[in-house]
Amino acid sequence: MAHKTTFDYDLIVIGSGAGGSAAATIAARAGKHVAIIEADTFGGDSPNWSDIPTKALLHAAHLYDDARHGARFGLRSTTMGYNYPSIRAWKDLAVQRTGAGGNRRYYENQGISAFSGVAHFLSPNEISVNRRHLSAAKFLIATGSSWTTPDIQGIETVDYLTPRTILESIRPPKSLFIIGGGGIGVEIAQLMAIFGTKVYIAEKSSRLLPHMDTEVGTLMERILHEQKGVTTLTQTRVLSVVKEGLSKRVTFSRGGTEKTVRVDEILIAAGRAPNVDLGLENATVIYSPKGVEVNDHMQTSAKHIFAAGDVLGLDSHTHTALLESRIVANNILHKTKAVPDYTATPGVVFTSPEIAHVGLSEDDCLKRDLPINKSIAPLNIIARSNTADFRDGFVKMITDKKGIVIGATIVAPHASEMIHEVALAVKHGLSADDVAQTPHAFLSWSEAVRVAAAKLS
Amino acid sequence: MIDIIKQDGHRPTESYSRDKLHASVLAACLSVRTPVGQAEAIAHAVADSVTAWLANKPEVTSHDLRRIAAKHLHTHHPDAAYLYQQHRLTI
Repeated sequence: MAHKTTFDYDLIVIGSGAGGSAAATIAARAGKHVAIIEADTFGGDSPNWSDIPTKALLHAAHLYDDARHGARFGLRSTTMGYNYPSIRAWKDLAVQRTGAGGNRRYYENQGISAFSGVAHFLSPNEISVNRRHLSAAKFLIATGSSWTTPDIQGIETVDYLTPRTILESIRPPKSLFIIGGGGIGVEIAQLMAIFGTKVYIAEKSSRLLPHMDTEVGTLMERILHEQKGVTTLTQTRVLSVVKEGLSKRVTFSRGGTEKTVRVDEILIAAGRAPNVDLGLENATVIYSPKGVEVNDHMQTSAKHIFAAGDVLGLDSHTHTALLESRIVANNILHKTKAVPDYTATPGVVFTSPEIAHVGLSEDDCLKRDLPINKSIAPLNIIARSNTADFRDGFVKMITDKKGIVIGATIVAPHASEMIHEVALAVKHGLSADDVAQTPHAFLSWSEAVRVAAAKLS
Repeated sequence: MIDIIKQDGHRPTESYSRDKLHASVLAACLSVRTPVGQAEAIAHAVADSVTAWLANKPEVTSHDLRRIAAKHLHTHHPDAAYLYQQHRLTI
């Protein structure tokens, strides 16, 4: 009789963030014997150190900023102030209320064995966690990613902040030099500037938010400068940092000229790298420093080992990691394999105004040599812009030559809500005319979506 | 204490020894006619890097140790790194 190999678990999930938690829960509910391993805080990055705390702080900051500028509506708010420890307490409450942060007991209540420690593959079916050896028939690698440190002279000699550590600051610094003008860098620039910090933001590219359309970066640079006094340093390479008493001196090169600025703190938000140091060679999993390679079914080169979330090095959205985690659960439990569909995955930057995009950008279309039509509806042409006294922003829509919506970028208050209408259009192949013919409520920001679509129909 | 699980799976697990790693890297460097002083310096640097990598790992395989040591050795002395990786095949 053939010997049947037995393992400790049906599935071991390495990482309890968005990429791991959904699959662990779904598999456990389907009756599988599941273990989950977390090297840091249970719940992963999003509820503990990134999305939730940052957005809680941004909500308080925008509320404060709106109130402070309420004089034009007849509000008396000149004596408005804030208490940063109380704002931090609000942030901690928001983290606590999600229930996801530090939720080891949540897994245990579902019959999932939860282990704290660093997982390391010993063989394709066995890992070590705190010297304890665990085996499983299947694995899910969802170890996420970490902020990287760019190669800057002297960086190891100074205490610098990351988007994670700045959340624990006792008070906003008097001055802050941000290295990296991506979504997180811009969010933190605005957040700290609202609380009175003098912010410098340096970006290697020719504009802020280089992964989005040109208009977005240009507009945000103007808004940050005019409204918050942020100094944007595009096409800038930071050369060195030196500790000078309690301050830091940053030397950078811009336009062939070396300049120096003295700041209280430096924040590095110049990219993330997948966490792949877990003995993947012992499990014959192919990977590179850019991430773990997977096929359409989220399987690595070892077919019983799946990967999801930031560790793939593709996209860094919590909702994308959740989608991939659900796909992995399906492909582990069912014979009919599912494939993740990324076409209508929105991306959002929670600045004021918010920035949201879905589908292809104009730059994406140019790179692919796709023939397109595009339209831009500035916010100031819709009625809500008048009643809210807010004019900075636009809706940019892109269709193919047949008029089918293939992408959009929105810069507007509540853009994170507005984008889902376009996401639906992209996912289901609706035309710009379909969107334009749909009634949009008068005095909603979404009227700008209708206007942009009408220009293309 | 860091445990090293031996490659063949039969020999018992042993504790990580910085001196043993240092000696093996030194031997690889000397076998490609590296001057003794330089070989010592390289072996020290590689052993330091590997020890730092092991900081949050209570248990690794001997294969991991050899792979990481070879990676760091490659930056200092590619020829010695090649020999270090291939010595079982070349002896």
